[in-house]
Amino acid sequence: MTNATDIGAHDVEMEVDPTAETLADEKKNQDVAAVQEIREQIRQIEKGVASKESRFILRVLRNLPNTRRKLNGVVFRNLAQSIYPVGADREAAVALMPAVEKDATELPDVPKKQVASKAPIAEVDAYFYLLLLVKLIDASDLKRAGTCADALMAKISIQNRRTLDLIGAKSYFYFSRVAELKNSLEGIRAFLHARLRTATLRNDFEGQAVLINCLLRNYLHYALYDQADKLVKKSVYPESASNNEWARFLYYLGRIKAAKLEYSDAHKHLVQALRKSPQHAAIGFRQTVQKLIIVVELLLGNIPERVVFRQAGLRQSLGAYFQLTQAVRLGNLKRFGDVVSQYGPKFQLDHTFTLIIRLRHNVIKTAIRSIGLSYSRISPQDIAKRLMLDSAEDAEFIVSKAIRDGVIEATLDPAQNYMRSKESTDIYSTREPQLAFHERISFCLNLHNQSVKAMRYPPKSYGKDLESAEERREREQQDLELAKEMAEDDEDGF
Amino acid sequence: MSNLYTELKNEWSKHAPNLAHCSHLLDGFKLELVRSNFGTIQVASSSKQKDQLIKSREMLEIAVEHSITIRDYAAFERYMAQLNTYYYDYDKYLESSKHMHKFMGLNLLYMLATNRIADFHIELERLPSALLLHDNFINPVLALENYYMEGRYNKILQAKKSMPSEIYSNFMDMLVNTAREEIASCMEKSYLKMAPKQAAQRLGLRPGSKELLDLATRRRWDLDDEGNFDYAALHTRPLEKVPAKDIATHNLTYAQELEKIV
Repeated sequence: MTNATDIGAHDVEMEVDPTAETLADEKKNQDVAAVQEIREQIRQIEKGVASKESRFILRVLRNLPNTRRKLNGVVFRNLAQSIYPVGADREAAVALMPAVEKDATELPDVPKKQVASKAPIAEVDAYFYLLLLVKLIDASDLKRAGTCADALMAKISIQNRRTLDLIGAKSYFYFSRVAELKNSLEGIRAFLHARLRTATLRNDFEGQAVLINCLLRNYLHYALYDQADKLVKKSVYPESASNNEWARFLYYLGRIKAAKLEYSDAHKHLVQALRKSPQHAAIGFRQTVQKLIIVVELLLGNIPERVVFRQAGLRQSLGAYFQLTQAVRLGNLKRFGDVVSQYGPKFQLDHTFTLIIRLRHNVIKTAIRSIGLSYSRISPQDIAKRLMLDSAEDAEFIVSKAIRDGVIEATLDPAQNYMRSKESTDIYSTREPQLAFHERISFCLNLHNQSVKAMRYPPKSYGKDLESAEERREREQQDLELAKEMAEDDEDGF
Repeated sequence: MSNLYTELKNEWSKHAPNLAHCSHLLDGFKLELVRSNFGTIQVASSSKQKDQLIKSREMLEIAVEHSITIRDYAAFERYMAQLNTYYYDYDKYLESSKHMHKFMGLNLLYMLATNRIADFHIELERLPSALLLHDNFINPVLALENYYMEGRYNKILQAKKSMPSEIYSNFMDMLVNTAREEIASCMEKSYLKMAPKQAAQRLGLRPGSKELLDLATRRRWDLDDEGNFDYAALHTRPLEKVPAKDIATHNLTYAQELEKIV
């Protein structure tokens, strides 16, 4: 009896401990899996370098967001042992690693563990440091991240291998990010420019794209729109950069153009940026671009549609902008002022505040346009009352400027003191439809040409369909026999 | 260098400074700057260097005011550009000058007066945003820009009297002239005809004054029988011809592209 109860007690005890142990076990398993995964990635990189195909490295880098989450100190120590031979390199790497947690242990049972005998190839070296850098940024350990980034840059700068390009491009981005977090962006500008020069000379298009983006981000951080504009004008953005980089570049371009009052260009770029960005991921980027698109559309005089504000994932962040749009749409100056003062700090964070200040004029323009459409004759005093202006004289001046700018079609009559709207002209009698059609047609044709150019044929499949030499001989023999038979038949027939 | 500085300061703070003398001193100042390689930004750790930078900045401010007084706008732009580096890049090392906001407002007003609205907005972006709404040098200029964009030119004509500093008056005159041209072109498009008295009132000029007549002849306003300005003649649109060449080229391109689509 006592035995049974003893065993029962033991059972209860045993149940309490395994929960703590299973957690540790789970973590170990995760770490083991992570180490194996990264080792597999390293093998892929080596394969890519050997066969000079960038697809493998591209795949490894694309997995970076996933890999990022599985990194920790233990994983790094294990990897360092298997990548670097004992020596100065390994010491340097270990010095930069994040601290190992207290209750984690070394993993003794990772299968096929070998200690490296020779120094790793440059790509693996760079990739390892890149993983370190990413982990340090995630852990907000800025001091070590800074040293790691500098070491990584040093490694990349001395090499001239095409296979290192993709990894190098990612590293530039994180290097720039570390500088941004440490608020020392000004210092790295010269370095980025120098790397851009080398990248352009070597036709390293991915590196070029990333470096131009980093530089633009740098300039826009300090609101140096002038210099950013000059950079864009003087440099050629590589056509074959990846879509993500294109999306970022178009966003920066849109911001620059919007600041310089070129709103239609800005709108075009921003819409393209939205199209090139990934559909389901990168929601922060899409929120920012969408906010800017709304403001630029308002500046152009168009009201964005309500559907835009209801999209999943964007609804909350666009709340302030929805109110802004309503104020502009109603042409209500007072409400506009209220919205601006209420959400001012939020707009400043989004870098849209200076653009929104310019919207005041648009509010008035919309109001005038709606008045022009709805009234055929109206006196300036009534206009002043509706627009909440100070005097009828103000209203007259504003309306006459609006007429000159083509906002409304009307004439003012000073004697009888009213404004009369003109009948709207038939738009089909002008060239407008033709121009609109032409734009659309050229866009479609351009799209077709680009898709044809972008088609990729798998290598060596062209030859497969053709016959090989033996098959051809066989076929010819068969033809000959058939011909002979037919000739004999004919003779027989005769 | 310091002699130049004290001399220039004394000369400028006199009630009626001798402008030619000042120009002479400023030329000397320019040479001094070149000699002490002002272009390179060195961390101004030593107080002597800081002192020198502060002195150069003050001399540049005087130079800016001087160039406005003698109406040399190209020189104004040059000095202003140099002054901007002192305000923005050296901001971390030197205490800000007392007149910084005044000169920034002046720069913005200059761009507004010469109709460089894009540059105006870009300069506006560079200002720290807290400054924008509360500073009493920059606020009037912002308000002016609003009036100009909205078309409330009458407010511009009124604002001339309420500028925060006399040195702004020079650019205000330029702005008022630009505004007058704008009012005139607006009037042409929006009114069919207008009596001269009303025209004068809108332009802020006295009726029958010489400026009004100059404006009228320059913009070719006809006087009809009642002495009204008749704008209808400026309203006719030219007949639009059918753009045959364009249509033909477009269609040929379409045909060519379509052929490529197998």
